[in-house]
Amino acid sequence: MRMLARRLVLYIVTAWVAITANFLLPRLMPGNPIQTLIGKITGTVTPNEIRAIRLSFGMGFHQGLIAQYFTYLTQLLHGNFGVSITLGAPVSSILREAVPWTVGLIGLSTIFSFAIGTFGGALLGWTRGSRLDALIPTATFFQAVPYFFLATVMLLLFGSDLHWFPVLGAYSQTVTPGWNLAYISSVIRYGELPLLAIVLSSLAGWMLGMRNMMITMIGEDFVLMAVAKGLPRRKVIWHAARNAILPSIANLSLAIGLVVSGALLVELVFNYPGVGDLLLQAVLNEDYPLIQGIFLVITLAVLAANFLADIVYLWLDPRTRTVAAV
Amino acid sequence: MIADPLKTQSAAKMTESPQHSVAPVSARHDFVLEVNNFSVDYGVGEDMVRAVNDVTLKLRRSQVLGIAGESGSGKSTLVYAMTRLLRAPGVISSGDVKLNLTNEGDPEEVTPLSLVDASERELRNIRWSHVSIVLQSALNALNPVLRVSREFNEVLKTHRKGMTRSQRHDRSVELLKMVGLNEDRLARFPHELSGGQRQRIMIALALALDPELVIMDEPTTALDVVTQREIINELNDLRSRYGFAMIFITHDLSLLVELADEIVVMYAGAIVERAGASELYQAPRHPYTLGLLNSFPPLHGERRELAGIPGSPPDLAELPEGCSFAPRCPFAMQRCRHEAPPLTNIGDSDRSVACWLHSGDPSVRVPVELSREMNPSRTRVTALKERT
Repeated sequence: MRMLARRLVLYIVTAWVAITANFLLPRLMPGNPIQTLIGKITGTVTPNEIRAIRLSFGMGFHQGLIAQYFTYLTQLLHGNFGVSITLGAPVSSILREAVPWTVGLIGLSTIFSFAIGTFGGALLGWTRGSRLDALIPTATFFQAVPYFFLATVMLLLFGSDLHWFPVLGAYSQTVTPGWNLAYISSVIRYGELPLLAIVLSSLAGWMLGMRNMMITMIGEDFVLMAVAKGLPRRKVIWHAARNAILPSIANLSLAIGLVVSGALLVELVFNYPGVGDLLLQAVLNEDYPLIQGIFLVITLAVLAANFLADIVYLWLDPRTRTVAAV
Repeated sequence: MIADPLKTQSAAKMTESPQHSVAPVSARHDFVLEVNNFSVDYGVGEDMVRAVNDVTLKLRRSQVLGIAGESGSGKSTLVYAMTRLLRAPGVISSGDVKLNLTNEGDPEEVTPLSLVDASERELRNIRWSHVSIVLQSALNALNPVLRVSREFNEVLKTHRKGMTRSQRHDRSVELLKMVGLNEDRLARFPHELSGGQRQRIMIALALALDPELVIMDEPTTALDVVTQREIINELNDLRSRYGFAMIFITHDLSLLVELADEIVVMYAGAIVERAGASELYQAPRHPYTLGLLNSFPPLHGERRELAGIPGSPPDLAELPEGCSFAPRCPFAMQRCRHEAPPLTNIGDSDRSVACWLHSGDPSVRVPVELSREMNPSRTRVTALKERT
């Protein structure tokens, strides 16, 4: 418990540093978003108009940096991330719209990929040298192929040509969003192909990692002991896998942290309305409040995922529970 | 002069030594393990290396067989192959291993099981319940992420299906008590225990199902001498109480002398000498045994100069012609470099040696170190129980 409390404090400090950096970085950059916006407006812009624009984005007040910083923190605590310059809507509501899609799609694919890859890797590690080893180059091939190419080919082949999967978008235009069966099943149908593409392209990493750890573990004495104890084979495999999975858990925490940032290419290829797509638009349009908001959400998600992983790791590996002698 | 405590107590010890406290067994199932012409290779074809060469040995019930030799002498390979625990690329190339299992209903009845031909299922049934093993490093042998209680539970659950949860717990506590550990150790993880405690837990675990044979692969090598001492004492004690047979592998001959009834010395995958523990210790016949004895300080008894054996163990892939030990042997003769000596009995004794010095050829003068006589008043160097 003390261990967890200590970690939590560490994460809070890290979050504060990240928020501060998020505040400072845009202000250290040359130019400002208002000028960019004004630059986009054709025709002449009167000083009054400029003032109006500044005010509408909450920048009309001349504050010192420190005062700005505290305003920023207060606004953040109230869930106010500012207003998007290009979309004209509050960043928080834009994010609320985009984040669930990304978390749903990328999160699920990550979990599927992890589960299938780890399970397969454990099996491959155990049966090393058998014909099953042919799966490894196959999986590696799918990971080695540039992702957008694989996704495009799958989209064309299974979507456009064979019509196995619906394409483009996150749900059918004919259903009304809400908690109804038609909408939910449509979301699932539209998510299948992108999910398959992501799983296929990221499977090899999990599989190879688990397989190699498994082979290392099989050489350990406690696995030999498990055999010597006369345990059934699945229990022997479990002894090895229980230890081999630890590095994969660490990797999973990193992967989950990145779930929120979305997979830009997936969302582009499949026209999926996620955070990756949003971030691209924001960067192209120099929409600073939106960029800042997205970065902040990503940072916090990574931190939260890491904290979660720490807890899981403490639970899985008792050796990490030892608190250094004080 | 300080009296040697071993001398005065050895006679009393003999009469109540473990092998005599067990009810006599009929000749039919006198042996728990019989190994015949057993050979083990690593790899196949061109790269094949013979790690164990034509080994024959027998182990009586409730007795301790010591296997000694340097690293790479094949002692561990022998026992792992025997128990079918050897991993690829190790393969059993010839020979047979017979385990004589006692039936639970009738202890007079034995069922021989050929371990070489046994199926996975048969092996699973005899593992741990009849043959258990203790490895050198208990830290590696215990799963690092499991509590000690889990290790006991797992074994009891697998082999004693009828036991309830509380019975399993009681048995675990009882086993820990047997090796002098408190029951609170059950809730610990391996990394929270000392090396000695871990090895004790391994020993308790090995005895969990009352096996007939316990294999100890250098169980004390990773421990300091004090802990080593305690563990050896405990093993002696446990063996006399429970009467299991034991194969004890070590490179430390002086340790074996305290524990073993019979010792075989291995060199380059073959047995070079086999004798009763005290015979071997007091009157070694093979130059390699002599070298091993001179490499370790005796735990008891007079001091002798430590000499070691010049050279290093041979490359098993390129064994010299003739006797494998000849290049390192201070007594090597012309014949040794051409002809490999067979393992033969010395005279009409039941000890055997693979050395041309003892071939009975009158023209060969046996060196004085290798022709010492036994001192009958010091038959066994086991005064351990009395000491504690």
